Amino acid sequence: MAEDLVLDTTIRDWVLIPLSVVMVLIGILRYFVSKLIRTFQNPDGKIVKEGQVVIRARNLRSSADFIPPKSFRARRTYYSNEENGILHVPKGQAPNPQAQMFSDPNMAMDMMKKNLSMIIPQTLTFAFVNFFFSGFVAAKIPFPLTQRFRSMLQNGIDLSTVDVSYVSSRSWYFLNLFGLRGLFSLILGEENAMDDTQRMMQMGGFGFDPSKSLGAEKDSLDIVQHDWVLPKFEQRAEAVLRKLAK
Amino acid sequence: MVTKLDETELKRLESQVEHGGGGAWEYLCLVRKLKIRRSDKVLKHGLLILNDPKKRSSIGDEEWTLYEQVAIAAMDCNSLDTARDCINVLSKKFPESKRVGRLEAMLLEAKGCWEEAENAYSSLLEDNPLDQVVHKRKVAMAKAEGDLLKAIECLSKYLKVFMADNDAWRELAEIYVSLQMYKQAAFCYEELILAQPTVPVYHLAYADVLYTLGGLENIQTAKKYYAATIDFTGGKNTRALYGVCLCTAAIGQLAKGRNKDDKEGELHTLAAKVLEKDYKYRAPDKLPLLTSTLKTLKLSS
Repeated sequence: MAEDLVLDTTIRDWVLIPLSVVMVLIGILRYFVSKLIRTFQNPDGKIVKEGQVVIRARNLRSSADFIPPKSFRARRTYYSNEENGILHVPKGQAPNPQAQMFSDPNMAMDMMKKNLSMIIPQTLTFAFVNFFFSGFVAAKIPFPLTQRFRSMLQNGIDLSTVDVSYVSSRSWYFLNLFGLRGLFSLILGEENAMDDTQRMMQMGGFGFDPSKSLGAEKDSLDIVQHDWVLPKFEQRAEAVLRKLAK
Repeated sequence: MVTKLDETELKRLESQVEHGGGGAWEYLCLVRKLKIRRSDKVLKHGLLILNDPKKRSSIGDEEWTLYEQVAIAAMDCNSLDTARDCINVLSKKFPESKRVGRLEAMLLEAKGCWEEAENAYSSLLEDNPLDQVVHKRKVAMAKAEGDLLKAIECLSKYLKVFMADNDAWRELAEIYVSLQMYKQAAFCYEELILAQPTVPVYHLAYADVLYTLGGLENIQTAKKYYAATIDFTGGKNTRALYGVCLCTAAIGQLAKGRNKDDKEGELHTLAAKVLEKDYKYRAPDKLPLLTSTLKTLKLSS
């Protein structure tokens, strides 16, 4: 398109700014609501222990060369022998997260709360934005962009002739949704800001199975070659001292 | 971890606060964040804030955190009445709080009522078996009572779950050394070396334990770890230098009569030289002592 579209200043006053303000307010509201319904749950002892075992086994793997061969062998047996090594997970005994979820009503409840604080307000705001602000070209970014950005910036406007640097109101909503994290961390304090991208990642991480990481750690521990580095240190120390003695 | 930047900031704030330059609250926050022990100063300046209604209200909700901090500092300074007052305020504000319950138990401990404190800690652990602070308090209490075996028992129980806690391993190692259970101590130090392989302190302590255990193989290993300490510290650790000399002498004695196929390095002669040089520079009047010692070890050149 050759000529620029002229955006009405009332669009700025009645779409662009209100939309951003609404998004900020909803974000703050949601933070307080989720704070209200959040339950503090004690971490499960077994999971904590498994996490610690993995850390310790990883330490052993990465710096195995610093302890004498005898100590290393003893530790490896302790971790990964087939009978009662602490990294050894007997077959068929690994807990199935799906089954665990159904047996533990608290877990389902927790999931629901998480969803409640995330999906419901999101649908509501989306419906709200669609209802009041749909179809506007709300802003223009001051640099040109390629066609690829059309789906990101002009969601809701199906015109292929409009220059890509114009931003539709719905896209402005999405930009706000994902981009307000910095502002929230200013308003609510550093650690309180939780943006939606992070939440989604948490959702994806659900069903993480610690016994799998135990198994993986055991496998990599089994193939570690022990090569004691300490004898080399005698030469290195000699070099250091020779320099000092001069 | 306390970084260099934190340290300078802390020193700056400390001197500022000491000379009445304000910033007491920032200082207290930093002390809390870095988890360092400045109980006397925390008590003094924390009380100044808490006793002044205007200052107290200016920190808002953090008031209660300050009460807790001051209570713990007061117990550390043995002003138990102050601690009592702080805890009373807190328990009025947060009845049935576990965190206040922990403070109550600590107060009992500070008073020396071991049994009551023990019971209080046990009931706290029943509610939350993963409370690290309570576990550590129990160990500290057993140590204060002088019952080191019980301390070891508590600490092992704690380490069974939190086995990546380096400080706990170190504590356990030191307790084992004080009980002369060197094999167990060696295991703990190995664990520490695994976790932080470049910290010379652990190598040095491990070498000490191995040397104390004795036996040709152990002493040869000990010498290697002393060498590692020398390498990590750039030869500035006098204890490691002595360690190398002693190990070499011990190996020479133990291996006497056996075939000496492994060639002797010149590590010990170098160590002796560096020791002599160091003594000449820093403590010339002790030099004769050193030379006679080295002579008995047959290391003097």
